[in-house]
Amino acid sequence: MRKRNLAKSWNYGLTLLLPVLLIALTSCQFTQSAFAHTASNTGAGFAAASTMLSYMHQGKITYQYAASSFVNFRSELDGLDRQQLLSQQGAPDMRAVQHLFDLYKPAIQAVDSPCLSASCDWRGQVAALNKASEAFLQAGGS
Amino acid sequence: MKKQWLSLALGIVTATGGFLDAGTIATSGEAGAKFGLGLIWAVVVATIAVILMVEMVGRFTAVSQKTYADAIRENFGFKFYLLPLASEVIAESLLLTAEIGGIAIALSLFTGISWHYLFPVAAFLVWLMAWRAPFDLIENGPAILGLMTLSFIVGIAVLGGPSPQLLTTLWHPQIQNGSLANYLYLVAAILGATISPYLLYFYSSGALEENWSASSLLLNRVTAIVGMGFGSIGSMALVFLGAMVLQPLNMTSNTLGELGLAMAKPLGIAGSLLFAAVLFTTCLGAALEVVLGVSYNISQGFGWEWGEGKKPVEAARFNLVLTIFVIVAIIIGLLGIDPLQLALFASTIIALFLPISLSPFLILMNDPQYLGDKTNGRFTNIAVICILVMAFIVALVSLPLEIFSGGG
Repeated sequence: MRKRNLAKSWNYGLTLLLPVLLIALTSCQFTQSAFAHTASNTGAGFAAASTMLSYMHQGKITYQYAASSFVNFRSELDGLDRQQLLSQQGAPDMRAVQHLFDLYKPAIQAVDSPCLSASCDWRGQVAALNKASEAFLQAGGS
Repeated sequence: MKKQWLSLALGIVTATGGFLDAGTIATSGEAGAKFGLGLIWAVVVATIAVILMVEMVGRFTAVSQKTYADAIRENFGFKFYLLPLASEVIAESLLLTAEIGGIAIALSLFTGISWHYLFPVAAFLVWLMAWRAPFDLIENGPAILGLMTLSFIVGIAVLGGPSPQLLTTLWHPQIQNGSLANYLYLVAAILGATISPYLLYFYSSGALEENWSASSLLLNRVTAIVGMGFGSIGSMALVFLGAMVLQPLNMTSNTLGELGLAMAKPLGIAGSLLFAAVLFTTCLGAALEVVLGVSYNISQGFGWEWGEGKKPVEAARFNLVLTIFVIVAIIIGLLGIDPLQLALFASTIIALFLPISLSPFLILMNDPQYLGDKTNGRFTNIAVICILVMAFIVALVSLPLEIFSGGG
């Protein structure tokens, strides 16, 4: 008798627990963590800046087009704060965040002062942007 | 009659500005870049809904000789009329700011000057055209220029069309872990960006400006299908371009300029400039429709003189409303919010208010006092109910999804 009651309670418990588990599981997959969201967006932004710079030097877009686009990249990518990133939900350890910031610095310099003439090292800037883009996208789980 | 058929342009401009605008361009590009072709179904659903709504509002005006705003006030009373009006003013003021921002960005892509400086120029251009330009010019200008949208299809063809692997995302969307909220948010934003109530107010008033009557019903039907179908092709082409070019490069179309790279890859400088020209035209068309749609709505609801055919002095309050509305947009624009983000936010707000604007449809379209024997049939009534149910669901989920997904 006691065994049967126990089994009954177990069944009820499972019935109640299953939806909770399902909700928890779905909410995990439903949305990205704050850190993953920031990292993915930053990575995508650097990828766009890199392509923009390459396309300009390959003659696929005009100087004006690129110059105008970099104004928007600046407002999108500038001001990423290390402490803020560290405190975000889902953030990795300090060393991983520091590594991202080491790549962020040269990339954001390229966004702030893009090399839109042939006289400067635009290939170096593209390489820095690509490196940062890959790292941020990977950190964001993309 | 010939002139009436020439007014097919009303449909194309309604589509150029009403279907394709900063909101649709933003959502389509982002949809393709993030989910491949997995959101084409949302564009198709939105297209069918908007074709039905536009056909109905055109039929209503042509037969009853009353605009949608007129009828809401007459049938439901002034207090009820204030509800859709208030929701319209809130949502469309955000959208107008985004459209003016879109024009400024397009000008910026041509000149290299920051869009922040060009925003007042764009606002002045919209105000000047809305204030002084005859309805014919507002109709035909963006309609003809809107044909440039077809260059998106050329771009897809030059790229060799979508790969078989990409085509599978049409029925099997690839939603990565943690991206479901963003996917659903984009569904709501696509529906909100496409089924915009201002489009109905503008189309309804435009039909009267064009002197449509009961004999214009065939023209109305063709206009709704061809015009909205045309807009839909442009929107879908952008989803394809985003999926074919931006997604493999890990870009998510966070800025309007980067969306033009999807055209630069197949067509070079000409492609990117064509994108900028389409952005300019569609945003200008949309800005004019929004500002006129709201001004028509307010003037008709309050019983004031209205019409683009009239001199400003003959419809002073109508012109005052449109001037104030542009000033409000400039004030919001001074906050410096990125037009693309604002367009996405405005689409969410429009989705939130959609049921308020669309609910009167079901009653008005079945009233023989207005429509005689041209009331809705069973099929169209079922369609309206489906659209309303969809609008209610979208309204309920749009804001929570915006918060969950971080606004795209």
